[in-house]
Amino acid sequence: MGRGGRFLESIVVLKEVTKVIKGRTIIDNISFEVNKGEVFGFLGPNGAGKTTTIRMIVGLMDITSGDITIGGNSIKTKFEEAVKHVGAIVENPEMYKFLSGYQNLVHYARMIKGISKEKIDETVKLVGLSDRIHDKVKTYSLGMRQRLGLAQCLLHDPKVLILDEPTNGLDPAGIREIRDYIRRLARERNMAVIVSSHILSEMEMMCDRIGIIQNGRLIDVQLIQEFVHGTSASYEFEVIPSEKAITLLKTNFPKIPVTHSRNGITMELAKDEVPAMVKMFVEDDIQLFGIREVSKTLEDRFLEVTADKGASDHD
Amino acid sequence: MINLIRNELMKIFRRPGTYVMIAILVVIVSVTGIFMKYNLVEDEPNVTEEWKPVLQQENEALKKQLESSSIKLEQDYYKKQIAINEYRIENDIPFREKYNAWSFVKDSSELILLAGLFTIVVSAGIVASEFNWGTIKLLLIRPINRSKILLSKYLTVLLFALLMVGILFGFSALLGALLFGLPEQSLPYLNYFNGRVTEQHIVVYLINYYGLGSIEMIMLSTMAFMISSVFRNSSLAIGLSLFLMFTGGQFTALLSMKFDWAKYILFANTNLMQYIEGTPLLEGMTMTFSVIMLIIYFVIFQFLAFYVFKKRDVAA
Repeated sequence: MGRGGRFLESIVVLKEVTKVIKGRTIIDNISFEVNKGEVFGFLGPNGAGKTTTIRMIVGLMDITSGDITIGGNSIKTKFEEAVKHVGAIVENPEMYKFLSGYQNLVHYARMIKGISKEKIDETVKLVGLSDRIHDKVKTYSLGMRQRLGLAQCLLHDPKVLILDEPTNGLDPAGIREIRDYIRRLARERNMAVIVSSHILSEMEMMCDRIGIIQNGRLIDVQLIQEFVHGTSASYEFEVIPSEKAITLLKTNFPKIPVTHSRNGITMELAKDEVPAMVKMFVEDDIQLFGIREVSKTLEDRFLEVTADKGASDHD
Repeated sequence: MINLIRNELMKIFRRPGTYVMIAILVVIVSVTGIFMKYNLVEDEPNVTEEWKPVLQQENEALKKQLESSSIKLEQDYYKKQIAINEYRIENDIPFREKYNAWSFVKDSSELILLAGLFTIVVSAGIVASEFNWGTIKLLLIRPINRSKILLSKYLTVLLFALLMVGILFGFSALLGALLFGLPEQSLPYLNYFNGRVTEQHIVVYLINYYGLGSIEMIMLSTMAFMISSVFRNSSLAIGLSLFLMFTGGQFTALLSMKFDWAKYILFANTNLMQYIEGTPLLEGMTMTFSVIMLIIYFVIFQFLAFYVFKKRDVAA
């Protein structure tokens, strides 16, 4: 799927991670792996447990049971070794507002060995903040703070980048910039990027794989294309009269799901079944004006998946 | 660790509030100095007067009181006074001298309370503010364990305390020298310990005096630090610590009149000067006892601060 042939090497591994806070299970037995060079989307409605999971990955929260390793080091027992390879923004990139952007970066650079002044300058340039870096952070716009946040997590060339809602509060140009940027980091620096969001269209454009989390459970992990398209595609046939077409279809192919849609009827079928349909409609004097493949959006799929699992949970 | 402390210092000294604190300290010392200069200098005794007979008379009176006294604490006090007076007569060291820079430095030590207040404000905010600002998240995801980060913050508080007391000392000495002048030959301070009198240079004595005077503020700053780390609330830390700073001493003094266990209260032990220059609050209290009590309190405060900070789930 566009990434063919690259050897997949996992760098972040979650093993049966559970988090219980005051007797309530917030995260329930989550396991997944993130590979080098991929953008992994962490998708779920608000309150599903995205941020809690991210907090556990970076060691801000204790893990009740299970383990998380980064580059083979457990965040529980070898925190420093593990977190050394991680750059992260957890929720909003809160900075010291009374310091300049540059001083903020110096502050974080001092906390890791071997970050030179040149490296700081290079990072500032990379995120495009050179003009304003010596201004106080309180004068920054949200977009600029977001970039400073990004600079802060790139200072030490991490192998894993974790971004919690990175496009929150950005304008469309900013969103696009961040998105391109994330894709580039993954591709050029072979970084593993974990992005959380509840904005589906964003994820669709940014991620290679997504994991869907709902009520603290990971309900699905899939490649984004497979996830969106599923196994069969949908085709919309512009037909008149549509009632007759549906009746015809139901008698001849009772197994194919069909629905009314705006311009005619929509059915789910494999591509090689399309000619047979056309032949059937033409032979029965149904007027056929066009055929269009309907790709589902991530949103459709997401709602489908969460509804399914949600329903089965309650059974 | 040095880098972490540099970070903390940067966060303190890049905020204007810090300079306001220093300015207030300097202004109050100046006002006190000027006030002293124009109001008290007239009361200056004639230092050239014959002082030896005065001390001799005093000693005779003290000896009589010593004989009639039956309380150990009182007896010790009289013995000390007599020994010091005799030493003065023998070695020709007058008991009073013209009010000079060093006298002013000693009087300024009252303002350690103010330096303490500012240190408490800084100490109370140093952990809690990171939570308020939300910056704690970015701070704790560095490859440095939490204990080190907290330790660097505590050491920074100590440095800040040292700086405030240093400014107080240095500025009073400077202002004292300008207003009252340095004595041509400063008289030594006389120490009395185990029946023997020894001389101590006045500056050494004053540094010790400031050091001992800072113990209470260090203990309270440590307490504020603990509250800041445990409750993540700087207002609570400031409020409680200042309240205790201003009332703790009195409460303890009141309690000590009725109850013997008052000697275990922190404030009964913070004033180590009581063993050097005065008399202890309660009988049976010694320097060693107080130092041990202070260490116990210190360890409890630090244990709580570190334990909670290390365990905490950061969800700010």
